[in-house]
Amino acid sequence: MSTSVPQLRVPLAGRRSGRLTRAARAPLARFIGRRLLMVIPVLWGVSFFTFVAMNALPGSAAQSLLGPNATPQEVARFEAQLGLDQPFFERYWDWLTGVLHGDLGTSLASGASVSSILLDALPVTAELILVAIVVALLVAIPLALLAARRPNGIADRAGLFLSMVGLSIANYVLALVLVYIFAVKLRWLPAMGWTTPGEDLGQNLRCLVLPAVSIGLPLLCFYTRLLRADLLEQMQGEDYVVTARAKGAGPWRVLVHHALRNSTFGLITIVALNLGTLLGGAVIVEQIFQIPGVGRAMLSAIDNRDIPVVTGAVLVFAVIVVLANLVADILYSVLDPRIRYGDART
Amino acid sequence: MLVRLVKYVTAGAVAVLLLAFVSACGGSSSSSSTSAGSAASRNDEDVNGVQAPAPQSGGSLTVLLEASYSGAWPTGLDPATNTTGGANQSQMNAIFGQLFQLTEDGKLKPDLATDYKFEDGGKSVLITLRDGVTFTDGTTLNAEAFVWNIKRDMDSPCTCKPLWQLKDVSAVDDHTVRIDLKSPNGALINGMLVSNVNWLASPTAFKKMGPQQFKMKPVGAGPFKVVSDKLSNELVLERNPDYWEKGRPYLDKLTFRSTANDESALQALQAGQAQVYEGMSTPSLLDAYKNAGLTVTKEPSTSPYVIQLNTKAPPFDDKRAREAIYAATNSQLIVEKLFDNAETVVQSFTAPGGLFYQKDVSGYPPYDLDKAKQLVKELGGLKVDFFTLQSPVNTSFMKALQTMWQQAGIETTIHLYTLNGLIQEFQKPNWQAALQTAGAWDPPAGVGVSFRFNSTSPYSGVKDPKVDDLINQGQGSVDPAERKQAYDELGAYIAQNAYAPFLFPLSSYSIATDGVYGPGITTQIPTVAVDAPIQYQDAFRTSGQ
Repeated sequence: MSTSVPQLRVPLAGRRSGRLTRAARAPLARFIGRRLLMVIPVLWGVSFFTFVAMNALPGSAAQSLLGPNATPQEVARFEAQLGLDQPFFERYWDWLTGVLHGDLGTSLASGASVSSILLDALPVTAELILVAIVVALLVAIPLALLAARRPNGIADRAGLFLSMVGLSIANYVLALVLVYIFAVKLRWLPAMGWTTPGEDLGQNLRCLVLPAVSIGLPLLCFYTRLLRADLLEQMQGEDYVVTARAKGAGPWRVLVHHALRNSTFGLITIVALNLGTLLGGAVIVEQIFQIPGVGRAMLSAIDNRDIPVVTGAVLVFAVIVVLANLVADILYSVLDPRIRYGDART
Repeated sequence: MLVRLVKYVTAGAVAVLLLAFVSACGGSSSSSSTSAGSAASRNDEDVNGVQAPAPQSGGSLTVLLEASYSGAWPTGLDPATNTTGGANQSQMNAIFGQLFQLTEDGKLKPDLATDYKFEDGGKSVLITLRDGVTFTDGTTLNAEAFVWNIKRDMDSPCTCKPLWQLKDVSAVDDHTVRIDLKSPNGALINGMLVSNVNWLASPTAFKKMGPQQFKMKPVGAGPFKVVSDKLSNELVLERNPDYWEKGRPYLDKLTFRSTANDESALQALQAGQAQVYEGMSTPSLLDAYKNAGLTVTKEPSTSPYVIQLNTKAPPFDDKRAREAIYAATNSQLIVEKLFDNAETVVQSFTAPGGLFYQKDVSGYPPYDLDKAKQLVKELGGLKVDFFTLQSPVNTSFMKALQTMWQQAGIETTIHLYTLNGLIQEFQKPNWQAALQTAGAWDPPAGVGVSFRFNSTSPYSGVKDPKVDDLINQGQGSVDPAERKQAYDELGAYIAQNAYAPFLFPLSSYSIATDGVYGPGITTQIPTVAVDAPIQYQDAFRTSGQ
């Protein structure tokens, strides 16, 4: 897992620190500005193609909401009520201008504002994903360190076995196995449902465990294997490791203080890139555990051909992924002060 | 449809896993043979009704509803704007009560109404409301409120709106409403069971709250009132202390929760997160439910499966092709092999649980493989495009029919569609054959005989004035004997013309944990739509409250 950071600039040595800071800040701001500007066409593209895809699906919101017993006349009347009889581009333009004014539109099914639907659902999905990532990282890093410390040792082989199992099992299958063991047989944790932290924090955490593990275990295994491989690469081939060893640093110190820090770049990239996949996993897991997150709202909206909600949810997912990648890029410079973005003077 | 896609993607894996687990854990159930044995014997009793103890007041009940049907209420719960009202009967009945309800013996019982009377040969109906009933906002349920509701319901986009040829509706006095129709409708009152007009909303609360807020937290005069409503996810209700029937409801709290499918419902029940599951419809999971010690009650279906044939286009515009399908279809074998003899083969659009049931239809073409082969030969071969709504049960059913027809030389191509795909297929003029259900507790109500056979219905494969006439005769008369005669004649006419072979109604099951009792939960009530109309005001718990 070699580290490749876009638009990296390492400043020339010998500059005074104050000047360096000022110089570095401005390019970073410019870098963030440029990236944010790039977000605009990305989000427009995402919204447009989602709109196109939803319109290309057979049937309409009116047909889906009225069910199989509705006559074509009833469907046509309801479509007119929902405004679906308007031309595609007119509906898209109305939606787009609304978004530019901060209005994501109104759900065709419930009549509620899309913003309020997503604001209700987003914290749920965010909590689920955040816990899954944090737990996966907290377990993956020590496991990878143990594995890299003694390649082919017991810890490495155990980690390999766990990773193979975790990577082989689909998260929805894992979810069902976990539910069977921990909810049905042991009755320790709920099989479904959701309680917000505000209602009951303890129950919220209980509701969170199985879905978070279902999403997090494959991640954990993935992170462990990648980090182990990168750590080994660092330990075996990098000059700074040889130097550290020559200076008398112990193997754990070299591993944790030197190799891990470098390997973290790759891990951050993977975590950021993985977020899209993770959101996809959350959609399925939310459905299995009946968790009222964005994924479930989106699936339900797709089922109902509720275009404003689907487009709003996809837009939110796109924003999250784009911002996560931006944060990852910014984190590089935090982790390694030598890294500066877009400094034209270098 | 993606919800369903995810459901089906997971369903196979879930079923395999679940069955594997159940088998693997057979040790635990067989090791405690007493409990397994008692569970099994209890389940056998349950099919015919559990002997319920004396009702107890108090406690709460969590009910699971399948996410793709009754567990979806995306447009809220206002009777006039809920487009899935037909599927959400349990939630709606609990909040609004019912003007009329169906009892365990299959009889119509006035609830918020006390009486009705047909006049002018069925062209007018007088409905009397119960005195002293109030909505949960404290306002009175009177004739004026009923009229307001009917007018809103007639404009509803829901397919559960009343299909009346309405001329006028008016309040005769404070408790009597007169409905005048353009044509007689003897099924008007029975049809209310599948119609949003059976639920009365508070006009005052609607005006005060506005349509958007009202659909989220509607106000009715039912046994429960809304505490919170998360659309298609969770509906929490609490006891209505001012409910008209003293001592009811027994439960203090009633929660409806959406669940992904029959497999996840089983897990939630086993995990103790719910006590009731409505409308279990996967026959292959019945043993898993029974082995888990749950009470399984078979609810009599009133809508038989039918193989709709498009008689307006080739190849089924030729009667010999239709007769070949009749002769090649062995319904009894399907019931034996796929449904373990748990269903009853029928020959018409009526079923044992419904009104006007006709066991044997005069002239119904029997299964006759030799005749089927002969007819196919005469036709020079028969190729059929056969479609239905995608579901695990339908898939196995379609494959069974395909194999069966193949023996007669009929080449069948199966198409499994999502809801929207299915409707689009019906809109094509040259569709050929579809596996559907036709029928209702009262034949013309809901997805009844008119829906599948009337010339004007977009989902009919038949265009025959005689059929239309018999349908109108059956619906128009207020005399049950006349209605029965019309439907018997219609059943025979469909059979003689080989318009559509009928198969059997597929039952749904109500599931309950130990100590839960109620009409439609642990006893049988004929289904008016797809699931049994459970009367939650009479439901109670004796343990684990």
